[in-house]
Amino acid sequence: MSDNAPPQYICCRTEVALNVQHAGKPIEAVLDLPIRYIDRSRAYYLALGYDNPYRWAYNRDVPFVALSRPLTRSRVGLITTAAPFKPEAGDQGPWAPYNASAKFTEVYSMPIESLPDLRIAHLGYDRKHTSAEDINSYFPLQRLKEAEAAGRIGELNSRFYAVPSLRSQRLTTERDAPGILEMCRADGIDAAILVAT
Amino acid sequence: MSLTARHLEANGIPTVVMGCARDIVEYAGVARFLFSDFPLGNSCGKPGDLETQRGLVEMALGLLETAHAPRTTVQSPYRWAEDSSWKEDFYRLDLTPDQIAKAREEFDTQKAVLKDKLESSQG
Repeated sequence: MSDNAPPQYICCRTEVALNVQHAGKPIEAVLDLPIRYIDRSRAYYLALGYDNPYRWAYNRDVPFVALSRPLTRSRVGLITTAAPFKPEAGDQGPWAPYNASAKFTEVYSMPIESLPDLRIAHLGYDRKHTSAEDINSYFPLQRLKEAEAAGRIGELNSRFYAVPSLRSQRLTTERDAPGILEMCRADGIDAAILVAT
Repeated sequence: MSLTARHLEANGIPTVVMGCARDIVEYAGVARFLFSDFPLGNSCGKPGDLETQRGLVEMALGLLETAHAPRTTVQSPYRWAEDSSWKEDFYRLDLTPDQIAKAREEFDTQKAVLKDKLESSQG
């Protein structure tokens, strides 16, 4: 097959269709698809020689509950995986490499009056295309304060919450998610915005 | 983050997840998901760009109001760049043996740090 062939013709044979590369490029870049992170991370760690790829959480059933009152009268909570800056824990600045030392291990909350110094160097984001220089690209506190000031939401809760990212689904499910729920209940949260990084 | 959203939802608190990894969030299964086709780390907008930051917060709030069934995904209309070449770079597979060795060493180091943290966290 020629490298110049239009991408829509690459699926002429099953084994080619299952190939995730085209002309040496990932198929998502060629066809402008959302990146398939599960497939790609499996391929990557297998290529590195690890034979036990991470198993992402999978659920068939999804819980759903509707708003109990209009947003204009709701108290909204913000939940993040970002970490407070820890000077002793190595590079956490813009363009910092992945830094597990900067991880936090238990749920926490902080007041929202002043903008906290939260970083994401402990998370697996795209180091080549993401600078992490603007907190508003991963922690929308200022934008939510604007929404509150504009009357779009009734109230932004006086503290935000953070859940650790420890690559342990058991810890998240059995310990951390219940911890977040407890704080949300104590504060009377009507709806929550969770930012994945 | 998806697992936390699911737990809140199951206990009566409506949620919306903002994220950039469509397959991971949808595989976990959440009630409402605002998907941005941006590089990981920009779930709330482009750095220094009020238009996408404000737009995405408004879309997340709108999703809380309008979704009427679980697994409702909305994809934001914003593009990261005119072309899609940024999608070539994450977890690149065209690695030299040297790069593989370096990546392995870094992964093992960071994994050991995380293991220590997990052990101290669990007591």
